[in-house]
Amino acid sequence: MKIKIELFGDARDFSDQDYLEITLPELSSIKEVRENLIDFIKNKYPDNKNYLEIVRCSAFANEHNEIVQEHYHLSTHSKLSIIPPVGGG
Amino acid sequence: MFYGKVIESSKGSLSLDKAQQFIASEKCGASLFFIGTVRNHNDNKNVTGITYDSHDAMVEKSFKEIFEEASEKLTIEHPAVYIEHAKGYIPLGGLSIIIAVAAKHRSQAYDLSRYIIEEIKKKTPIWKKEHYDDNQSKWLKGTPLIDPSS
Repeated sequence: MKIKIELFGDARDFSDQDYLEITLPELSSIKEVRENLIDFIKNKYPDNKNYLEIVRCSAFANEHNEIVQEHYHLSTHSKLSIIPPVGGG
Repeated sequence: MFYGKVIESSKGSLSLDKAQQFIASEKCGASLFFIGTVRNHNDNKNVTGITYDSHDAMVEKSFKEIFEEASEKLTIEHPAVYIEHAKGYIPLGGLSIIIAVAAKHRSQAYDLSRYIIEEIKKKTPIWKKEHYDDNQSKWLKGTPLIDPSS
């Protein structure tokens, strides 16, 4: 299944677009999303440890704007947002 | 009474007048305005501006949740809260956030204002990219919403 991940904050630097699309097996969870993104960074930006750290420290939110945990299972056409460490004000 | 909004800098600006009008109440003897602005120096670098990014829907939800938490945890009589946060590029001296609060007494207003800004810093999906006078820019490190070690 294809999952669209909207990019925010530091994670916007991962792509020229506002989002990434990844392909995962059915019933994958956030854990697999994170692993997939780590592989993506290692392949596309092999020397960028900062990007890897961003993926490791980021939360993910679902289409209902709720932070979802590592075991949260995705369905076809799920939309996620990557939420890197925050710091407004 | 609560109002919370993200303001895209290309479409409008933060409004102290609107904030003042919103929190005005004959029941409240204290009003406080916390205003965040872009300062010229950080981490030994000359800052020329900041680009704010936000997940707008989550930010506005977070503002409301923080207001509700504050109302439960603190003893505030007749609380009124108005929050606006900027999104997009804000130049030096520009306003990044307004937190206007009103309460019956001044100690309540101080507690409420402080609670809200500290919680926003820790919880609300907003990010800052600083721009410097050497034409470099950098996303600032923030607080993770998860425990990366778990």
